[in-house]
Amino acid sequence: MATELTAPVETAALAAEVEGLLDSAEPEGIYRDTRECGGGLLLAALLLISPPTPRAPKTDAR
Amino acid sequence: MAEQAQQNSALSAAVADVANGVALALDGEGDSYALSALLAQEDTVALAAVRVLGADVLAPYALRGDPARGSTDRQVVRRALAAYPPGADASDVSLWSYRGLVEASRAFLPETGADGVDGADGGGRDGEGGEPGAERPPEPRPGDAWVQTDPWPALAHRASQLAALSLPSLAPALAVGLAARTDDLARGFVRAVRRRDWLQAAGVGRWLVRAPDVPDSLGLAAGLVFVRRMSGSDPRVVLHTTAAQRFPGGGPW
Repeated sequence: MATELTAPVETAALAAEVEGLLDSAEPEGIYRDTRECGGGLLLAALLLISPPTPRAPKTDAR
Repeated sequence: MAEQAQQNSALSAAVADVANGVALALDGEGDSYALSALLAQEDTVALAAVRVLGADVLAPYALRGDPARGSTDRQVVRRALAAYPPGADASDVSLWSYRGLVEASRAFLPETGADGVDGADGGGRDGEGGEPGAERPPEPRPGDAWVQTDPWPALAHRASQLAALSLPSLAPALAVGLAARTDDLARGFVRAVRRRDWLQAAGVGRWLVRAPDVPDSLGLAAGLVFVRRMSGSDPRVVLHTTAAQRFPGGGPW
């Protein structure tokens, strides 16, 4: 009896799942351009290896 | 999270089982294939799996069809179509997939005199005197404007969802429309690979192996091998890549 009562509900849920599987949305993803990533890495590397900013020598105020 | 829950559902497991069986049959050239033997039991989940995979469940019959053996499978397909018709608000993909399964049943498992129904594709009604409870399913007419109007990423996504219709002699108008956008499908294939969307890549690949003028620089054959390997032998991906190997070229254009 319980099976008879739940069968339509299960079928309706399955029908919805079938529709979901048939017309599933594209998975979320981040599309990165390799050239842009390479450019970013190069910039970061250049910043790291660049010499420190020259500073004015300290002069003692006497 | 929702995706993971879906992947673990009974339906997804049944879809994977049937896809695996179809791919194995295609690998073995489909000699002793029987869809009904793949289904653990003819319950609602098994029929839903048939509806999800669509025309692909009959792909081994397209390879080396022996319709005389397919009477039971024809009944299974009809029950799946009757149990899961597209709803009033069904998407074009659902309508096309349903239509593809109807067409595949007619093309690969034509009714014979032994079924008690005229084998010609006439307007035979409801299998009078034929298979019990075997009503001829309706054939919806889904829209196809998207083939011309969709931007290439959306086109590739939708084409991959309908990869089963790339089987020979199914949906010729759709095949011709997609063949006219081979470059866009090629872009979609590369995009799917870069997104690691192996199912989409394999589905688009199936259309591309039949399309004319696919650029050599795409490396389609090697790409499909790569996709299959990277998917971790996902049954649906394996089904697509195996079908791409078994049904190369020879489209209706």
